Amino acid sequence: MAESSVKEYSPQELRIKNKSSFANKRAGRILEGFQGSRPVIDIERGRYFTESFKQTEGQPLILRWAKALYHYAENASVYVDDDQLIAGRAGREGRYGILYPELDGDFLDEAIKSLPERDSSPFDITDEDAQYIINEISPYWKGKTYHEALAAALPEDTVRYTFNNDEEKSSRFIVNETSSFRSSIQWVHDYEKPLTIGFNGIKREAGEKLAALDEFSPVDNTEKKPFLEAIIITADAIILWAKRHAELAEKKAAEEVNAKRRAELLEIARICRKVPAEPADSFYEAVQSQWFIQLFSRIEQKTGTIISNGRMDQYLYPYYEADKEKGLIDEDMAEELLECVWVSMAQYIDLYLSKAGGAFNEGYAHWEAVTIGGQTPDGQDAVNELTYIFLRSKREFPLNYPDLATRIHARSPKRYLYEVAETIKDGSGFPKLINDEEVIPLLLAKGAQFEEAYDYSVSGCAECRMPNRDTYTSPCAYINFAAALEMTIYNGKMRKYGDEVIGLQTGEVEDYESFDEFLEAYLKQQKNFMKHAFIQQHEIIRLRAEHFASPLGSSLHKLCMEQLKDIHSPKIEGGIDLGYFEFIGYGTVIDSLAAIKKVVFEDKRITFAQLKEAMENNFEGYEPIRQLVRNAPAYGNNEPYADEIGKLLDRELLEYTKKYSKELGVHLDLRYVPFTSNVPFGKVVSATPNGRLEYLPLSDGSSASQGADKNGPTAILLSNYATKNYDFRNRAARLLNIKLNPQCVKGEEGTEKLVDFIKTWCDLKLWHMQFNIINRETLIAAQENPDAYRNLLVRVAGYSAYFCELSKDLQDDIISRNEHIAV
Amino acid sequence: MRGIVFNIQPYSLHDGPGIRTIVFLKGCPLACGWCSNPESQKPYPEVYYDREKCIYDKKCEFCKKLCDINDFSAKRINGDLKGRCEAFRDICPTGALDIYGKEMTVGEVMDRVENDSAFYSHGGGGLTLSGGEPFMQGEFAIEILREAKKRRINTAAETCGFCDREILRQGAKLLDYILFDIKLMDAERHILHTGMSNKLILENLEMLFDEFPRLHKHIRTPVIPSVNDNEEDISRIKKYLEGRNNYSYELLPYHRFGERKYELLERQYGDYEKKLDDSLFERLKSL
Repeated sequence: MAESSVKEYSPQELRIKNKSSFANKRAGRILEGFQGSRPVIDIERGRYFTESFKQTEGQPLILRWAKALYHYAENASVYVDDDQLIAGRAGREGRYGILYPELDGDFLDEAIKSLPERDSSPFDITDEDAQYIINEISPYWKGKTYHEALAAALPEDTVRYTFNNDEEKSSRFIVNETSSFRSSIQWVHDYEKPLTIGFNGIKREAGEKLAALDEFSPVDNTEKKPFLEAIIITADAIILWAKRHAELAEKKAAEEVNAKRRAELLEIARICRKVPAEPADSFYEAVQSQWFIQLFSRIEQKTGTIISNGRMDQYLYPYYEADKEKGLIDEDMAEELLECVWVSMAQYIDLYLSKAGGAFNEGYAHWEAVTIGGQTPDGQDAVNELTYIFLRSKREFPLNYPDLATRIHARSPKRYLYEVAETIKDGSGFPKLINDEEVIPLLLAKGAQFEEAYDYSVSGCAECRMPNRDTYTSPCAYINFAAALEMTIYNGKMRKYGDEVIGLQTGEVEDYESFDEFLEAYLKQQKNFMKHAFIQQHEIIRLRAEHFASPLGSSLHKLCMEQLKDIHSPKIEGGIDLGYFEFIGYGTVIDSLAAIKKVVFEDKRITFAQLKEAMENNFEGYEPIRQLVRNAPAYGNNEPYADEIGKLLDRELLEYTKKYSKELGVHLDLRYVPFTSNVPFGKVVSATPNGRLEYLPLSDGSSASQGADKNGPTAILLSNYATKNYDFRNRAARLLNIKLNPQCVKGEEGTEKLVDFIKTWCDLKLWHMQFNIINRETLIAAQENPDAYRNLLVRVAGYSAYFCELSKDLQDDIISRNEHIAV
Repeated sequence: MRGIVFNIQPYSLHDGPGIRTIVFLKGCPLACGWCSNPESQKPYPEVYYDREKCIYDKKCEFCKKLCDINDFSAKRINGDLKGRCEAFRDICPTGALDIYGKEMTVGEVMDRVENDSAFYSHGGGGLTLSGGEPFMQGEFAIEILREAKKRRINTAAETCGFCDREILRQGAKLLDYILFDIKLMDAERHILHTGMSNKLILENLEMLFDEFPRLHKHIRTPVIPSVNDNEEDISRIKKYLEGRNNYSYELLPYHRFGERKYELLERQYGDYEKKLDDSLFERLKSL
């Protein structure tokens, strides 16, 4: 066997060892100014929204939202940063987070006290601002937030799985709703529209529709008219806001002594006067316009995992191509402008107030996905010159912003696949891969037209959206099925919650005579969890429209503008409603069931009572039993024994949603994408039958349990394939983490074999895949000496984060993912 | 047809084109003291015992009926049982006490290999037959290759070259790629370090060059301290190969990853320097 005795390091590892910097780049210099600094809360968004909402009570919600945006645009501080070519930020210098009190502001005053101290994603706040929140913002929202309304609306039985019985109604991490820590699921706009017609064009469109309303119609007067007025006010707001940036840039230019910088500032001013009001006419204008739009969208509402950027290499390409033809731009200039946006993105930090939100999104998670590659609406390959500039930027300036998603299809060009592989080899976790061959047929099956399906954008972590066709924005449930397993073993109870009976009382383990009996009991608990998740969702869909409006987002959606309805409306005709629910702990549950089947019922090595006793003692003093179950067949090894169980669990859930999602009027599809929730979910689950010790993280996404995958990465892919039920259309993303040692991808041959691996993943119609290319010892060294590894990026769950900004629990979880070394 | 397999390893990247699955057959006619797979040498299943993994001190009694673990000797047991050690399989919860080698049918082996066939479609991957010396279980090896061809799977084999000429000839007819080791050109020293002469090995290689001009031969030399880590030995091999067609040549750096497995089998690891000199290795590569 050829094994190298010489250690291989990824480019990222070498950069850290050599202490390289990016100071030779403009964006690199800007980055040095804020990197590693603790994010600070900026209260302006919360303040101006609250001020405005106090003035507009009783008015239609969408109008209130538009007026709040206008009030913000008129009064909020604007910024043009030193050295920057792109103007605009939504908060003070350095890394900042902003407030959305309408969402969960009911415990804002309490939350801000703990934010600086909490383990996951801490924030600082000045005393003055804290006082302002306590005295001016928080009191107004108490009794009015969405979070409170939801807690009050859920049936008592469902609340038991949802919230703890404490004052802030904190999450129980069992059937976990996520709608009260974000006002929409991940979302992406049709950016092409504002780039092409500008917000003056949108105003004209709204104005024409306003003039065409039936002046005698009650619906037109009370629903459509306020909608269109809101669109116009919002367009005015973003235009005003951009103009204020132009004024600031002019002022700065007047004071600037350096002639080169003065010229840059005057150019910024010219552009901000023009876009997003008017169509963009150059690459630079298009990039600035797009940044204003996405930033204003972030101010408008807390889109879960941050508003996505869509297919940037597609809608920006005509501008790049035209400028290049005129000799106005080259690759380096285009890259510099994009990187100026990347460092602006990197300073906006998605602030989650609740402990659950923080724990779900560790390391300041963000998924402002930029999609590249894939196919054109007519089904041809879409890769262009700009696509390669995005990849090059990730290799040359591997910042963790933006989250880069590459669409792969069966005919992706060789150069593209190789450059994707080369970028993965850098080791900072980019890009993630999304598979057209799985996504597109599913979108078609749900009613999309070919041209819409081919043109999907990756949005957020692993979702795929059709910007003018998708209409579902309600955040969905994350379900801890390892808790369902625990309730099956403890007859409805969980050790974490003592004697309280939470789940179904399906019986005591001593009474099961066969594995099938036990499996049946587990499936009852699983179905019961689904019931409560769907009850939650029913109420969530109903309540959201009363609490959230998105005039900006609606103005960028064809169906909303046709029907004059806000995007958060429960039903928009012609829309496809793509929601989901999450299976958290897939590997943990499969392995536990496989262990019980094999060790207790098939081989009869121990009794179920003995296993339970060992679990009750967290396997302390029961090491032989723990070893026995840990070495039972496990998911991720391409072995039918465990995979068949996985497929059955998957199928049962698909059957349920196939039957009941109709009642919700949406597609609520099965998904396996955890964010970082497998860590907090693990913290409520005691020791499991697969030998996992109490309160450690559950398995993540559709990956194998930590350390259970012994047959290498090809087996993980094949197990994923084997556990999927391709006959159902009710499936959504499966997130798959692959950790490889740099030695596996060494040299040109290593790149080739990584491409082979990716192509096979594409053949297998798996949805998503992402890589960490790193030595285990590097992670351990970073944990011991964080200062020297400040820059170390790792792939977490559909995003990359600085390793040293993760909690110890999550760091340990990442270290414990099996690293694959090829023989 | 059945044979003794000691491992089937998917996601192999360094033993032939593309992504491959390696089937390791047990048994080798050579006895190289540096062998990284000592468990591959004997042609029958063997018990091993890993004291570090053993949890007898944690009240583990799963092997109690079978043996007294405190007084366990893999060497003695294997000497006594000569491969008839099935009772030891799947008993130990930690895998501290288990068996190297399992009897499998050609069909069982090939089902496992074909499982990974999705990965072979790109980059020319497929099956690599390895060992031990795969052609030592000659008929079994040929049957596996024949079945692989039937299932349209790309085939490679790693051989030490010390095998029956006719078996190798039959194998070569079924191979798309062959990895062939040459350790030393000097016959005396070859005997000293591997227990066998290199005469048969070199003749077999000649046969492959003569009769299978279209079969790509990837010739490899593991560079072992104080055995062949010198310019003269390496130059001799390179000179021997010079002017021949359709081959590539690679030096493999010495490593001691297999050392622990010697302890588990209670065998003696050869007396070699701990580490190959990196700069020397680089120099030999550039010869």
